[in-house]
Amino acid sequence: MRNKFPLLKMLKTDHWVKPFLRHYKRTLVLAITLGILTFVCAGGLMFTSGFLISKSATRPENILLVYVPIVLTRGFGIFRPVMRYAERLTSHNWVFKMTSEFRKKMYDSLEQDAVFFNSKYRLGDILGLLSEDVAHIQNLYLRTIFPNFVAWGLYAIIVVSLGILSPAMGLVMLVLFGLIIFALPLWSVVVNGARQEYEKQVKNALYTDLTDNVMGIVDWVFAQRNQEYVDQHLASEHELYATQAALRKFERCRDFLLQVMILLIALALLGWGASRFGGQFGGPANWIAAFVLAIFPLEDALAGLPAAAQETNVYVDSLKRLNALPPVTTSPTSAPQLTAPLDFQLTDVHYTYPATTKEVLKGVDLQLPAGQKVAILGKSGSGKSTLASLLRGDRVPTAGQLTLAGVAPSELGDQIADFIGVINQAPYLFNTTVLNNLRIGNENASEADVWAVLEQVGLKATIERLPHGLATMVDSAGLRFSGGERHRLALARILLAKTPIVLLDEPTVGLDPVTERAVMNTFFTALQDKTLIWITHHLQGIEAMDRVIFLEDGQLAMDGTPRELAQTNARYRHLKAVDEGR
Amino acid sequence: MVDRLLFTINGVRSMLGKLVGLHVLQAFLIIGQTLTLSAVLVGLWQGESLARQMPWVALFILSFLGRHGENWLISGILDRFARANAQRLRSQLLAQTFTFGPALVQREGTGNMVTLTLDGISQVEDYFKLVLNKMVNMMVVPVLILGVAFYLDWLSGLIMVLVYPLIILFMIVLGYAAQAQADRQFATFQRLSNHFIDSLRGIDTLKYFGLSKAYSKSVYRSSEDFRKSTMATLRIAMTSTFALDFFTTLSIAILAVTLGLRLINGQMTLYPALVILVLAPEYFLPIRNFANDYHATLNGKNAFHKVMTLINEPPAPQAPLTLTPWRPTDELQVKDLSFSYGEGKAGLAPLSFCFRGYQKVGIIGMSGSGKTTLINLLSGFLTPAAGEITLQGQTATTLHAAAWQKQLTYLPQNPYIFSASLRENIAFYHPTATEAEVQEAVHVVGLDDLVAELPAGLETQIGAGKRALSGGQAQRIALARAFLDPNRRVMIFDEPTAHLDLETELELKEKMLPLMADHLVLFATHRLHWMKQMDYILVMEDGHLVEQGTYQQLQAQAGAFQRLVKQMQAKEEKDAQ
Repeated sequence: MRNKFPLLKMLKTDHWVKPFLRHYKRTLVLAITLGILTFVCAGGLMFTSGFLISKSATRPENILLVYVPIVLTRGFGIFRPVMRYAERLTSHNWVFKMTSEFRKKMYDSLEQDAVFFNSKYRLGDILGLLSEDVAHIQNLYLRTIFPNFVAWGLYAIIVVSLGILSPAMGLVMLVLFGLIIFALPLWSVVVNGARQEYEKQVKNALYTDLTDNVMGIVDWVFAQRNQEYVDQHLASEHELYATQAALRKFERCRDFLLQVMILLIALALLGWGASRFGGQFGGPANWIAAFVLAIFPLEDALAGLPAAAQETNVYVDSLKRLNALPPVTTSPTSAPQLTAPLDFQLTDVHYTYPATTKEVLKGVDLQLPAGQKVAILGKSGSGKSTLASLLRGDRVPTAGQLTLAGVAPSELGDQIADFIGVINQAPYLFNTTVLNNLRIGNENASEADVWAVLEQVGLKATIERLPHGLATMVDSAGLRFSGGERHRLALARILLAKTPIVLLDEPTVGLDPVTERAVMNTFFTALQDKTLIWITHHLQGIEAMDRVIFLEDGQLAMDGTPRELAQTNARYRHLKAVDEGR
Repeated sequence: MVDRLLFTINGVRSMLGKLVGLHVLQAFLIIGQTLTLSAVLVGLWQGESLARQMPWVALFILSFLGRHGENWLISGILDRFARANAQRLRSQLLAQTFTFGPALVQREGTGNMVTLTLDGISQVEDYFKLVLNKMVNMMVVPVLILGVAFYLDWLSGLIMVLVYPLIILFMIVLGYAAQAQADRQFATFQRLSNHFIDSLRGIDTLKYFGLSKAYSKSVYRSSEDFRKSTMATLRIAMTSTFALDFFTTLSIAILAVTLGLRLINGQMTLYPALVILVLAPEYFLPIRNFANDYHATLNGKNAFHKVMTLINEPPAPQAPLTLTPWRPTDELQVKDLSFSYGEGKAGLAPLSFCFRGYQKVGIIGMSGSGKTTLINLLSGFLTPAAGEITLQGQTATTLHAAAWQKQLTYLPQNPYIFSASLRENIAFYHPTATEAEVQEAVHVVGLDDLVAELPAGLETQIGAGKRALSGGQAQRIALARAFLDPNRRVMIFDEPTAHLDLETELELKEKMLPLMADHLVLFATHRLHWMKQMDYILVMEDGHLVEQGTYQQLQAQAGAFQRLVKQMQAKEEKDAQ
């Protein structure tokens, strides 16, 4: 039985939805109360009107005798929309507030793995999924949790107040409303929940499949197999249509049953009213119309419940994904102090990726003295980038020793950012102004500082030409920085941060050789007085380095100055010649 | 308010006719339900027994069930109608996408096309389902109810008539206000809602600067800003619903009170008063439903219009060429070919050249020099603005021709690997290839190691979300595809090695060169070392073809090619000085 209600099972271990219900508790209670009052007013309006005209039809001598129902009718008439308006504002506001907390929590959780975030998540396009999850959770609150609380509140009010008038009638209402509020939604989940989940799976599969093939559309066209794919896609869509047809068929039948329940409630009230208040002209009989008519507006509070319950299965995936994110842990930050010189010392460093068996680094011994400019070369997969993440302390060697000024970089935590600056393949520019993007390097940098580094990286004139100068939004309409310019901006950031060590992780991949050369020349000039570790697979500009290291299969294969290698190493000479097109 | 485009869909007229009939019946059932219920209530009020009301009760039950039973029927009919039309639109859109090919996808974006085809058309389906029904419902039911109200009591009828335009007026005014507010805030909205994604995308950069922990606060703050501006817009949108609600409930209250007063004065009797009171909410129900679904229909309407625009777009012109497989004596001659992307983006200035037989043609230039545009013109993805093309002696204005594309193999910078088995990927251009042929292709491009390493060999699933391949391996798979189809004698390369490291590039080059023999090869790159192996070279600069000739000729001239070479080797000369 529990498997039929995956949401309930999920909620048991959940730490993403439940905790937020406790947040801003008063607003939450207010929203639900307003929701209940909306329907009390709606029912009240029909109740008092029914009574008012019945009573008036008995032609009381004095209008004052119907004064109270008149006032109540007007009052309910005005308050119903007011309550509904207030309820919607309060509940939406609550949900958005919750979303802010929610996003923060999500960010904090992902931040812990920040350096590897892109390599880990971008492929599955988790970003889209995560923002979709936020929307799902918002819907879960607005469409399922709130309306259910409201319905339960109304249920209690109806059963208790009728129960006071007549315990037997209270019992009948307990059963009939109970069928609508609990039985129909549960039945929907049992029958249609699985179908709805399946529909989502089929849709996701179609989504992935279509994306895959639209990305490869060039090949479909050249292979002249395009019609073949269209037919194949349409065929696989039939499954979706069949599921949807079954879903809708059940929903139509269920909606009809819900109306039958409402009819039963109306008839029950009619019978009860006739026996309790009927039998003579006017008098107590004025109440019959009041009770019967009051029931119809409640339909609005009930009609959505089964559909909302049925949807919950779709949210389960979102909840699963969110609950699978690593919980936020706060690590103590008492980082050790570093004293110059900032030398790297690697002794027999080994590294194997978690959950793999292949050793990526197989005993690297290396000393990188402060101020040295070193290029690390190697084929892709030779362990270059792994070495870089070890140097920054993002990964810890599985064996051997790696220290910076005698301290393991991993012990420094976020403080490593004060010592090592990084520029990688695709420097990220945030969707904000040029100035803000640069100040990420140093939040306290003055505009004069910023212009100074822009001049150093050769972008001063470019930025001056922009419509709003430093205040221009990056990637705003019509403005896109080219690959080379992005790298220069990234360099400017590093210069503002004034880190003594700079790590360049294949910074120029994809640039054309001329741009590459110009960018690298700027890099070398601007970073003259720093330790420079340059990971590359091209040899453009390598003469500017003090030292070239070759990694092969996780071990050092060459080590020397560019001049030495050019004289003594045939392989180096060959690569150099090819790279220059000689 | 009525969407004209709706009348272009299949069977819409007969559907509308059916709906009008069904809603007239619906209105009668609603009225019947009201009349019978009121009769029961009045009977009981007069002190009669419930047993004497039984015929009326039975009629009430019948009309109530009839009404909801009919709803069941209507929604079934509409479901089928909407689904059939959505299905048709989807197949048309897919057919259009896959005939238009890359040009359309490039213009609209892969994500957008996929979303439009799947989610967009689902929204269109909902739109079809909702809009016709709600429209007919709103036009038929209130009118008939109003008729009954006027017949029973003209004053109540008058109140009901007067409130209606008031509701519509307020909805329109507030709807515009909400729209204006939303437009004003759209830019802010976009920025704020993207902020979260932006911070996740740049999370590694933040970490590198030691800022990622502190940034958490900024994420929260901007989400709060987003909440505030969203609420400001929502408040107006909700005010519009509020106005609708307010007028409907208030007019029910007013009806009840005026009816009550006239009942006291003896100006009317209970039965008509009760009927009007019960009918009043039914009178307002259609417009309330319409307003509630308004946003759902708006999205669907926009998607519908977008889909129709794409479907009705005339396809790019095709050249009706009949070609034989490329032979050593064939020629591709191009005269004054030019291209323009429209405003803002540089195209190609008129250029002329002639390729002959199994020539290997290098196209060299820096990023943005127009190499890729030229490649796209030659492969037929773009339609030239002007120029004359002569192919095997036949003239054409574009290379968008099935007969030409059938001969091409295209290797881009990042060849696409389908989410399928390695075998299916290799045999993509030639699905009926035999085992021996596939094995040979694997061997020729040097994929033996990969096949040996994969758990299920050739049957291993690769591609997105499956086993990741390196750039070099992807290129080899693309090469194997080309090798498998011996009828494709023209190879087009667009910077195939730009993302590869030098040694991988050299290994690949070794495999590629033999495959290029006996083919017409068009090879765009910015890597100089390929030029030695080319028979003919085009040098591109800023959208112009600045130089052409053989490697030896270009080396001898003091021109663009020499300039390029110099720029790339600048450092050494400085060293030498």
